[in-house]
Amino acid sequence: MILDAIRWIGYGTLVYFILMQTYLLLLAIGSAKSLRRSHHVNRFGRVVEMLSSRTSPPISIVIPAFNEAAGIVDSVRSMSIVRYPRFEIVIANDGSSDGTLQALIEAFQLERIRIPYRPDLDSAPIRAIYRGRGGVDITVIDKENGGRADALNAGINAARYPYVLCTDADVVLDADCLVRSMQRIVEDRQRTIAVGGNIRPLNGSRVELGHLIEASVPSRLIPRMQILEYVRTFLASRPAWSHLHALPNVSGAFGIWKKSAVLAVGGFTPGHMGEDMDLTMRLHRYHIDNKIPYRIVYEPSAVIWTEVPDSARVLRRQRIRWHRGLMTTIHDFRRMIFNPRYGTVGLVSWGGFFLFEYLAPIIEFTGWIVVPLALILGALNTTSLLWLILIAFGMGLMSSLVALLLDETYGYFNSPTDTSRLLTMALIENFGFRQLTVIWRIRAMIGGESVRGWGNMERRGVANLGANN
Amino acid sequence: MTGIERAQLVVLIIFGIDTVLVFGLFILKGTHRRSMVHREQRRRGYVALLSRHITYEHCTDPIDASMVQDPAFLDALIDVRDAVVGPEAQTLLDIADQYGVVETQAAFLEARHPLNRRLQAAVALAEIGDESVAGLLMEHLKDREPEIRIQCARGLVRMKWTPAIEAIVTSFSKQTPWVRARFADTLIGFGSKATWPLIAYIKVNQAFDSAGPALAIRTLATIGDDQAVKPLLSVLDEADDVEIVIATIETLGHLGSPIAVPQIQALGHADDWRLRAKAASALGDMSDVTATDLLEQLIRDENLWVRRNSAAALAKIPGGEESLHNALIGDDAYAADAATEALTDSGALTAARDRHDRNTTTSLDRTLLKRVSTGGEVSV
Repeated sequence: MILDAIRWIGYGTLVYFILMQTYLLLLAIGSAKSLRRSHHVNRFGRVVEMLSSRTSPPISIVIPAFNEAAGIVDSVRSMSIVRYPRFEIVIANDGSSDGTLQALIEAFQLERIRIPYRPDLDSAPIRAIYRGRGGVDITVIDKENGGRADALNAGINAARYPYVLCTDADVVLDADCLVRSMQRIVEDRQRTIAVGGNIRPLNGSRVELGHLIEASVPSRLIPRMQILEYVRTFLASRPAWSHLHALPNVSGAFGIWKKSAVLAVGGFTPGHMGEDMDLTMRLHRYHIDNKIPYRIVYEPSAVIWTEVPDSARVLRRQRIRWHRGLMTTIHDFRRMIFNPRYGTVGLVSWGGFFLFEYLAPIIEFTGWIVVPLALILGALNTTSLLWLILIAFGMGLMSSLVALLLDETYGYFNSPTDTSRLLTMALIENFGFRQLTVIWRIRAMIGGESVRGWGNMERRGVANLGANN
Repeated sequence: MTGIERAQLVVLIIFGIDTVLVFGLFILKGTHRRSMVHREQRRRGYVALLSRHITYEHCTDPIDASMVQDPAFLDALIDVRDAVVGPEAQTLLDIADQYGVVETQAAFLEARHPLNRRLQAAVALAEIGDESVAGLLMEHLKDREPEIRIQCARGLVRMKWTPAIEAIVTSFSKQTPWVRARFADTLIGFGSKATWPLIAYIKVNQAFDSAGPALAIRTLATIGDDQAVKPLLSVLDEADDVEIVIATIETLGHLGSPIAVPQIQALGHADDWRLRAKAASALGDMSDVTATDLLEQLIRDENLWVRRNSAAALAKIPGGEESLHNALIGDDAYAADAATEALTDSGALTAARDRHDRNTTTSLDRTLLKRVSTGGEVSV
């Protein structure tokens, strides 16, 4: 009886793994179809005409900054030179103690001002407001520390335009990323309430004066592994979800939101570790519950480069935080899981997230214990086990390879060294890295004081990421 | 076949596909890089060749049929077309015509597939702007591909094909918002010739549609033709749709005709705050001094955006700065905040700080500086 149970659990975990890889593969195939069309239109379409058009809505770029002195000035410079007819930059200094505010004051000739500030969204108290005297339309909100979501809320309150781009202080924007993502808004201003962009790791690439000069794959394993992950997520999943009107997350590193929609659902949730996913899901729920037509879309040609953790220690902290954010969001929106009332969001993406993101570490961890146990007890046939493992591994490899092929749409990383590095990663990620992430996610589930809070990202600054990486 | 044999077969297939993908990736990466480099080299060569043909009337450097089929030749043609005007542009069009570029691209556009080639053909024809394909472009204003419709409209504007105005304007309401926005941009290229067709479209559709007429009205603002003022004033009288009214107020403000002032001033008393806010902005755009009293009232409005826009408008009107200073020392804290922001944005705060550094401040400077130094409180 016990032996039977162990056998079925053992086979079950392997079948689950194969199902997960099939789901990812199907998403990748769906994404390929969606990317192909968008690639042609982006290549020949004249989106650049938006730059001189009165039909292009103005936008506020909102950046929360907590101890970002190392890179904030370069980041803001990169943002100030994006091509778009009308935008302002709003930085919410979230009680930094490392001279972030001073760096901004000096670089952009900020002067303290007093402007009407309407606290539509709750946030920690405001200390002062500054505005730039130079050519950049920049406003800095200096506030008490309250966390990322709190700072974003303060920034949204101060934003003057109907659309807000919520991003991070450690990103470099491609010159055309705003115009490309705002195209999706102009396509359907009435219904479009959020647009996500394509986030790519910046580590290893060369950045000068806030510009990406050359993209390349870093030599260090940890950031290199994340390049593969990001390519899989942003090119092999999100285009398909977006096509199905089921995008479950507009990334915190680059998300354009309709301000009125964000205000309608109360803004970002302070203290939430997955505040971007939480807001996306609240918007889905609010609009579906109230039968308001809407769409949340993803624009793969809007490319944003961001610094990713380059040590296992920092990556562990980040992954624990992400998984805790996912757990809270899954719990908050549990009624939407496989609920046909919520259409493709409930059935495809949120259901998939629950099955293959939330439950994955539990099932995989169970497999690690049960499968060897079953083998020792003779409950599993070694040969059939080996074949099942090979099927799962082969399918995992296939979804990574499809993602890398899809990445060719944008033509980064063309040197033989870069290609070999990425292929090596696709082959070896299942031997160590994957297990580490499972352990970190299990750690996040166990909880406790040590995994609470955001921790420090230990930024090097966007300009310093290329060298020796 | 046993279970194990089936599993073996599946593994074989999966790893077979994986192997193909690995090789495919290497080949694609290698060829992609090489083809990009080669295409760029060819494009540069063609740019040089076309430049020689434009510059020297009797240039004998050959252009053959294989070049014309090369996408890099098309890229070069478009680049050079963007850079030249007048007789040189005409020479370039003659070359395109002589070597069958226009015919080839027209055939690609008319084909059903593939999308990338049809799109490239539409872009090329739009850039070349050869009148012989005007009929074809008119036909493809109804193409199933939105991006192709946009390119055709661009091409028709490039060749100043006035019969296209009517076709573009009348299709406004049938287009997706993206195509409509791009169509509006292309109409600007026709200048004042598009004014009356746009007005006719607005008049006919204002009762049935909101987005189309509103966009048409904003297009009139960019065209900047004074003839639109009187018809727009009648739209302001007749329209019920708030989006249309807002677009009309904005456009009248932009056109700046004094005959529109009384009607816009009247909208400063509208029940809807959006109309009051837009009216305030329009009065600022018109720099009309008779609006000062109204704006002084509106700076004390219950709505934040009306206060902000009124203060910004006062900053643009001659003598308005004095009204802002009065608001600054008045007892309405909200109006004072709006005035502070407007004075900051107009540069008055920076000037006050400079005078402070030189010890030449006025009492108004001191009031402004004192107010700013106590900033941080919020006003709703």
